[in-house]
Amino acid sequence: MRHVFSYRDKHYIYDTGSGALHACDEATARILRGEPADLPDAEREAVEADIEALRRAGLLDAPETDARPVKSHELKALCLHISHDCNLRCRYCFADEGAYHSVREVMSLETAKAAVDFLMRESGSRKVLEIDFFGGEPLMNFDVLKETVAYGKQEAAKRGKKILFTTTTNGLLLDDDAIAFLNEEMENVVLSLDGRKEVHDAVRKTVNGKGSFDAVIAHIKKFVRARGDKHYYVRGTFTAKNLDFAKDVLFLADSGFDSISLEPVVTDLADLAIREEHLPRIEAEYEALADEYIRREAEGKGFLFFHFSIDLEGGPCLQKRVSACGAGNEYLSVVPNGDLYPCHQFANDAPFRMGSVFEGTIDPVLREKFATSCLFTRKGCEDCFAKFLCSGGCSANNYHFMGDIDTPYPISCAMMKKRVECAMHVLAERKSREK
Amino acid sequence: MIKTIAKPTERVTCGECRSC
Repeated sequence: MRHVFSYRDKHYIYDTGSGALHACDEATARILRGEPADLPDAEREAVEADIEALRRAGLLDAPETDARPVKSHELKALCLHISHDCNLRCRYCFADEGAYHSVREVMSLETAKAAVDFLMRESGSRKVLEIDFFGGEPLMNFDVLKETVAYGKQEAAKRGKKILFTTTTNGLLLDDDAIAFLNEEMENVVLSLDGRKEVHDAVRKTVNGKGSFDAVIAHIKKFVRARGDKHYYVRGTFTAKNLDFAKDVLFLADSGFDSISLEPVVTDLADLAIREEHLPRIEAEYEALADEYIRREAEGKGFLFFHFSIDLEGGPCLQKRVSACGAGNEYLSVVPNGDLYPCHQFANDAPFRMGSVFEGTIDPVLREKFATSCLFTRKGCEDCFAKFLCSGGCSANNYHFMGDIDTPYPISCAMMKKRVECAMHVLAERKSREK
Repeated sequence: MIKTIAKPTERVTCGECRSC
């Protein structure tokens, strides 16, 4: 499948079968779209010769794979809900402000160790494993977090395995001890900050109803200064209240953060939710952000915006592209009492309980449902140019908005497609400068 | 005129990459 799109005065062709990206002039774009193009015969013949040459090289209209993912039942990653409590009360929190629609509690060391043992046992021949500390606010259970890391490293080493640890934190408890520990032990750290003070404080409030911006940004700046060249993301959320979110991304960049992610909110709160009528504004905002992103990069003042980062040359294998995140099969969430769920967004959703780290088994029916769900079972993805870059959307979002893990949520799709086009344009501009 | 911007080095394989 070929996707011909324009960005300002630039024209591109993305070939889904081969994964190749090409630039072309307007007349060629019109011909490729099957639209009338007023061209002299000689020029038209030259364009058609170019198209035929790309076809022969396998870079246009290339056949697409229909290879189903190999169903590995070896566990790869656990999300440890080490705290179902939080010191913030963010209005849009999918996790019910940390409590996950249940009691506020933290995970015991016994449960955390049982989860590590479960991962060791269920990971089979895998050598590279992952544990993500999540909440709620994980640093509210910092002692257990630290002891779990030590135990995980010890148990993995015994088996010739390695665990990559990640923590997602709101930054409120990032003191010197936490900064030193996370910088030493975490492969990646995700730090929640929504951008401008007024935007952040409008939704991310403390238990006492006060804005958290001033405390959080000071802690996160201190953390990032100590982080060196290790991975981190300052990760924010935008809502219907700040559709001018490019200003928030640029605010974060101007605050000294060079690895940034800003995600559309997932909520059913009427005043915050992203709706279809917001899409034109959001798409224009992504373009405005891309323009500034390119300008800063050209001046040597660039930063990494997650959604404008794309690897078309050394990206993941097809197996990965069609099997996506692995939730419910290769990746599971563990809540404080040890129960298992397909992922953090299904936590404490009773019909999706898949067992317990203490039972030592995974519900075979639910696991099969998630293991067989892939790009080729997603409804509507077959005609989408972004399918091998997206893998069919988030199962949890699909389920919560559409009632089915295999039915993508159209608003998420629209934003994904726009971001992919922006990322391709950013890549093309970078390549152009390098030449 | 068409100019190729990027093409994959090679496109079904190992599980070493990150898991959202």
